[in-house]
Amino acid sequence: MSVATATPVDSPAAPAAGGRKGRGDRGARWGALGFVSPAVILVAVLLYAPFLYTVVLSFTEYDGLNSPEWIGVENFTRFFDDPALTTSLRNTLMWVVGTTVVPVALGLVVAVLSFGIKGGTWLRLPFMLPYALSGAGLAVIWSFILQSGGAANDILGALHLPGAETSFLQEEPWNTLSMIVAWTWQQTGVNALLFLVGLQSIPKEPLEAAKLDGATGWSLFRHVTWPLLAPLTTVVVGLALVASLKTFDIVWVMTQGGPGRNSETLAVTMYRDAFVSGEYGYGSAVALVLTLTTGAITLAYLRRQVKSREALG
Amino acid sequence: MIRRLVLGAMGLVWLIPVYLLLVNAFRPSTQYDADRIWVPDADFGFFDNVKLAWDAAGLGPSILSTLLYSVASPVAAVVVGAMAGFAIVVLRLRAGFWWFILLFGGTIFPIQMLVIPLFISYSSADLYDRRFGLVLVYTAVCVPLAALVMRSFFTGVAYTLYEAARVDGASVWRIFWRVYLPLAGPALGAVAILEFAFVWNDLLFGLTLSQDESVRPVMTALSSLSSAYSGSTVPVVLAAGLVMSLPTVLVFLGAQRIFARGLTLGQY
Repeated sequence: MSVATATPVDSPAAPAAGGRKGRGDRGARWGALGFVSPAVILVAVLLYAPFLYTVVLSFTEYDGLNSPEWIGVENFTRFFDDPALTTSLRNTLMWVVGTTVVPVALGLVVAVLSFGIKGGTWLRLPFMLPYALSGAGLAVIWSFILQSGGAANDILGALHLPGAETSFLQEEPWNTLSMIVAWTWQQTGVNALLFLVGLQSIPKEPLEAAKLDGATGWSLFRHVTWPLLAPLTTVVVGLALVASLKTFDIVWVMTQGGPGRNSETLAVTMYRDAFVSGEYGYGSAVALVLTLTTGAITLAYLRRQVKSREALG
Repeated sequence: MIRRLVLGAMGLVWLIPVYLLLVNAFRPSTQYDADRIWVPDADFGFFDNVKLAWDAAGLGPSILSTLLYSVASPVAAVVVGAMAGFAIVVLRLRAGFWWFILLFGGTIFPIQMLVIPLFISYSSADLYDRRFGLVLVYTAVCVPLAALVMRSFFTGVAYTLYEAARVDGASVWRIFWRVYLPLAGPALGAVAILEFAFVWNDLLFGLTLSQDESVRPVMTALSSLSSAYSGSTVPVVLAAGLVMSLPTVLVFLGAQRIFARGLTLGQY
């Protein structure tokens, strides 16, 4: 009896199920709850509950042994006196700016240059290889390249560029900047892949028409291809944004946030405060700030994108 | 032509780290010299290096455990996710859309928001440093993406298929396992591949929820092997990094398209 009332809203693809009544269907209804419950239980217990508990813990002082003690917003006011957190925020911001601009731009260059030419797949391969590496694998390779007197110093020396003597992983802010370079090396390929999918889905007509009008090379790209790619650029930058805010693996393996906590990102600070210093309440507060920052920046970014597109018509 | 030259030049720059990785991972551990990193060594020491890393960080059991996590969790997640999608779309679960939002909402939590309570509750529930505990949490993290993909997939399947099977007298359970799950095979496979790479490459859950060499996932093992205190030489660490990256590199090269599409689907 309930079938006809609820269904049309719930599953748009299914035809309206008028007149399907009877014992079997009521059975299916109850069955439906049974079918959805394993997923719901897993997600509720292992994702939602910990999330909410972290929010609660962020208002407490908790060493993991004694029970959590409610201290109100003290963890958050502590941020202002905590130099490690200020550094960490600054580094996170560097990660956000660096990784939403450089790998995205290079990815676009690779995609546009290799699109539609013979052997493009092979020319793209060097950029694709690094993507499959994990953060830890990436960190192992680049720790080796960036070590004092390592390959990076050799190259800069051979080219007579400054930096031949820099200890990239020890000196601030070079440690954060050089890790962004490592990240760029990894992410360019996948951004290129995303843009390539976009290029393939661009309708042929505007391009043909523009070519007939005599547009070539840069002007073709600037006035035809680029505007058509804009929606996809939003997605690519958005993904880079969210990923960069949560940067952890590469920093933890390459520098452990050091030396002296000066290359920490928010995610590393959270891990160190909670799992190295045993301050679970404070660590939770850092996690919460990280989450809220991610949410706020993402929302602001998406709103701006939507607005600018509306302005375009 | 210019396009090709520019791309080629960029590509060569991109291959420098790969070259350095291979040359120095293949170099015998004892032959390593920080001043000679650019020159390949005549002796091939890769397998010895892997052996050294294997012994130093207990890689064997760690790889087996990680294989368990990265296969069992995605498989469990796609089945559980497909069941949810089936319930919402085909069985027309009441308020199905809201159940779906509840499930998909699981993707917005950064892992950082989960690890402290998980560590605390795992410790008291005797799940800390247990393989089952890790399988459980990886499965939960994989479920939302699976539910998302399966919901859209089943939406595209004609409802008459379900009706016909019901008329034939098949039970709902049987219809799911015999009709809908096989139908969704390729989509399930694609999701499982994406999630395999995610679990294989995970570091943070491994760091916070495991300790023992035989339980911890490979990336955690790699992280401790590469730390300054492990005493392993550069060729050994690089060889270990290479071996542990191979599964995802191979899977990725075989399924680039799936990865590109998957990226726009979820957070991975």
